[in-house]
Amino acid sequence: MKYLSICSISFLNLISISMTCFFCSLYFLLNNLVYFIEWEVVSLNSMSITMTFLFDWMSLLFMSFVLMISSLVIFYSKEYMSGDVNINRFIMLVLMFVLSMMLLIISPNLVSILLGWDGLGLVSYCLVIYFQNIKSYNAGMLTALSNRIGDVALLLAIAWMLNYGSWNYIFYLEVMQNEFEMMLIGSLVMLAAMTKSAQIPFSSWLPAAMAAPTPVSALVHSSTLVTAGVYLLIRFNILLSNSWMGQFLLLLSGLTMFMAGLGANFEFDLKKIIALSTLSQLGLMMSILSMGFYKLAMFHLLTHALFKALLFMCAGAIIHNMNNSQDIRLMGGLSIHMPLTSACFNVSNLALCGMPFLAGFYSKDMILEIVMISNINMFSFFLYFFSTGLTVCYSFRLVYYSMTGDLNCSSLNVLNDEGWVMLRGMMGLLVMSIIGGSMLNWLIFPVPYMICLPFFLKLLTLFVCIFGGLFGYLISVSNLYTINKSMILYNLTNFMGSMWFMPYISTYGVIFYPLNYGQIVSKSFDQGWSEYFGGQHLYQKLLNYSQTLFLIHNNNLKIYLMLFVFWILILVNFLLFL
Amino acid sequence: MLKLIFFLVFLLPLCFINNMFWMVQVLLFFISFLFLLMNNFMNYWMNISYFLGCDMLSYGLVLLSLWICSLMLMASESVYKYNNYKNLFLLNVVMLLLLLVLTFSSMSLFMFYLFFESSLIPTLFLILGWGYQPERLQAGIYLLFYTLLVSLPMLIGIFYLMNKMGTMNFYLMNNFMFNYDLLYFCLVCAFLVKMPMFLVHLWLPKAHVEAPVSGSMILAGIMLKLGGYGMLRVLSILQMMNLKYSFIWISISLVGGVLVSFVCLRQTDLKALIAYSSVAHMGIVLAGLLTMSYWGLCGSYSLMIAHGLCSSGLFCLANVSYERLGSRSLLINKGLLNFMPAMALWWFLLSSANMAAPPTLNLLGEISLLNSIVSWSWVSMIMLSLLSFFSAAYTLYLYSFSQHGKIFSGVYSFSSGKIREYLLMLLHWLPLNMLIMKSDMCLLWL
Repeated sequence: MKYLSICSISFLNLISISMTCFFCSLYFLLNNLVYFIEWEVVSLNSMSITMTFLFDWMSLLFMSFVLMISSLVIFYSKEYMSGDVNINRFIMLVLMFVLSMMLLIISPNLVSILLGWDGLGLVSYCLVIYFQNIKSYNAGMLTALSNRIGDVALLLAIAWMLNYGSWNYIFYLEVMQNEFEMMLIGSLVMLAAMTKSAQIPFSSWLPAAMAAPTPVSALVHSSTLVTAGVYLLIRFNILLSNSWMGQFLLLLSGLTMFMAGLGANFEFDLKKIIALSTLSQLGLMMSILSMGFYKLAMFHLLTHALFKALLFMCAGAIIHNMNNSQDIRLMGGLSIHMPLTSACFNVSNLALCGMPFLAGFYSKDMILEIVMISNINMFSFFLYFFSTGLTVCYSFRLVYYSMTGDLNCSSLNVLNDEGWVMLRGMMGLLVMSIIGGSMLNWLIFPVPYMICLPFFLKLLTLFVCIFGGLFGYLISVSNLYTINKSMILYNLTNFMGSMWFMPYISTYGVIFYPLNYGQIVSKSFDQGWSEYFGGQHLYQKLLNYSQTLFLIHNNNLKIYLMLFVFWILILVNFLLFL
Repeated sequence: MLKLIFFLVFLLPLCFINNMFWMVQVLLFFISFLFLLMNNFMNYWMNISYFLGCDMLSYGLVLLSLWICSLMLMASESVYKYNNYKNLFLLNVVMLLLLLVLTFSSMSLFMFYLFFESSLIPTLFLILGWGYQPERLQAGIYLLFYTLLVSLPMLIGIFYLMNKMGTMNFYLMNNFMFNYDLLYFCLVCAFLVKMPMFLVHLWLPKAHVEAPVSGSMILAGIMLKLGGYGMLRVLSILQMMNLKYSFIWISISLVGGVLVSFVCLRQTDLKALIAYSSVAHMGIVLAGLLTMSYWGLCGSYSLMIAHGLCSSGLFCLANVSYERLGSRSLLINKGLLNFMPAMALWWFLLSSANMAAPPTLNLLGEISLLNSIVSWSWVSMIMLSLLSFFSAAYTLYLYSFSQHGKIFSGVYSFSSGKIREYLLMLLHWLPLNMLIMKSDMCLLWL
């Protein structure tokens, strides 16, 4: 290539900013530094709308991770999107997306966070509808509108923050946490976070957003869009602990985790399985956050970002080789045909399952052990551990379908493992998926958590994982004579496999009324009553009256005579009574 | 102010010279920059001469009129190219601009009324003369009579005021307060129709659909703001009455805004969709303005300016498509992204401004209005959230239906975007996003 491509330039830029952020973060962490930069846009009635930037170790670390992942994803897209005519537009959109995420991360102000928040929503919309087909159109609309609910909630929260005289919420959270207004703001912010992080009533957009190109999925699902909600709530964590909001969120996020884990076991679309697994992990982050352990949520958010981005990148490489087919039933034996990609795939999958000493283990195991020593009810406990089992279950099912056995795709398909640019992008994250967990563990928790558990509880996580993996492998094994088990309880399968009908509810379920009302309003207001009491009726009336008046002008003798008589009568009347 | 007026008056003969189209346009830009540099950023009347003067509120709206009118000429290249009575067109636009400048800079209520009404006439000519379909006659009548029906009572109201106060000066008027219901309705209704409030908005979609691009731009950009401007002026003497009656208008415009948003979702006509979205947005402006809180008054001014630029830009884009495809139907305006990718960027940027995405002025206005309306009554949160949500819904519908998907198969060939069109879009978008940096200029007028 004669010129440096946009991908390489962006890669170099992003990775260098990422490194800078990382070392700044270390410096800030060591010295307990926080920088708070504020620019006043306008001040009205002693309320100032400000653009606020907060640099602390958490935001810098998060930024460095986001930038690192996005740089590698852009590097990867150089090959993945190489056949695309509009690759420049694509990369620019991705850069805008990363920029929005940066702005979101560093804004601790409810007004200035909108810049990043709305930016994420809008650019993600453009990225989801990047491919020109009906499916991506619908998915984009679902994504954008689900996220818009969150935007509206944030706008209303802004209106309520007027009570406190500033939108820098960090000053007010602790002092005002028991006030009704602050609870209201908190619940609106929670609503916003739930839409962005696809918690239960709003989950359906996340698998739908898989219509985006795979590098975008890798970015969106690992560290950017979906984690924005978690990150916002981490900033708002004071409001969650010890209030009904935390309990409510615990329930919903636990259910999200469970629902997504269950759904992934019934799914055959490679990207959708990974999307559902993201959803399940988001549920995990949200639930531990709602119990008050915001550092753990942040920890899992970061480690998850690493291996999930890798998982998506592997999926992209596989999809390329499978002639753009995403159906896992057509895969098989990939570990023979694409050994390096498969290795990455397996590492990230195992990290997701919490395989000891990979990235996911440190955060996930810690979360589960904290859950065990915390004071929570049986139901939430069940949701946590069953979902953990389900995660391993669908991961091993995925491994069974794609990695083992024989290739089930078209026999004319040639697989190769020589997408070197893509592989190089993956290698960077492979290293991070292995060492990232322990590295962050040492960084974030200088003082370890004290965990004291009986032997069997300590083994519970391990047991659940092993059992889940075994189960996932065994139920997937099928041969010609196997009874299709999912057909036996078809209704139940249908329910669990379709995310508890949420995609139907949030599309067909809600679209009818607005459109129908639109028709009714259009027919009976705009072209109905408003016209009747407005222009048209007035016009008709005037027409009728002037037609009546025309009678006089007909030169009819009788009418003239009649009018003459009337006139005489009036005159006589006047004469008599005056 | 007189230099502005003189400039515009002496621009009128220039319109009759052939091939002076772009000259007039450039001169209009020139005068807008000249006016920009008059820098009257104070909260009192400045540049007073005879009955003309300019405070912050007038300043912004005069500037907006100058800007939009110069952009109107830029957008109507087809009038020049096909020689569609271009001299008369120019005359009409400059005349309209002159009247608008006089309207916004009149310090006297009566003069304001006079120019307010007379600005209807060039607008009517624009629609009747350069519109497209025969239905434009009806649209013109609607435009004229909806406004006239309620503005004649206002004239009576003004006479009454003159009789009582002995002055028509806005500044001196502030010393008076009238608790007279009939007067309130006389004065306010004219502006409600002009805004337009839901239920009396019928003239707006009709006029927009039938108007040429310049007509749509001036309608959405300036004419709707006349209502808001007038309301801001007369409310000062009607505060007590407004406390009594404002809930009616606020409720109607909030509920109406939501209903109109539903209507937007059913539109297949680009221009009708944008027109209805204007009704929804001006509904929020009206509601915020009538709460009479500081936030509301400032926010309504800010959103008026923002909406003027943004919806005018969207109408330009609709015209760009119309000139190429010969239709405004969303069933034909499809998949334009593949043919005009750079124009799709402008579609996206202006659409996102329309749904109040940061860092546009629309967001600033919307936030201030939300603040004022929620402070007025928390129940309005329901309607506000629906309004805000559906504004995104129909704007995305507009954007993605026109830009995404398959191209209409009946289309034969057309040119891609021209530099003039890109410049046109840039000049709409740039102030919208840059003014936020100096937002006290378009927020703090009071």
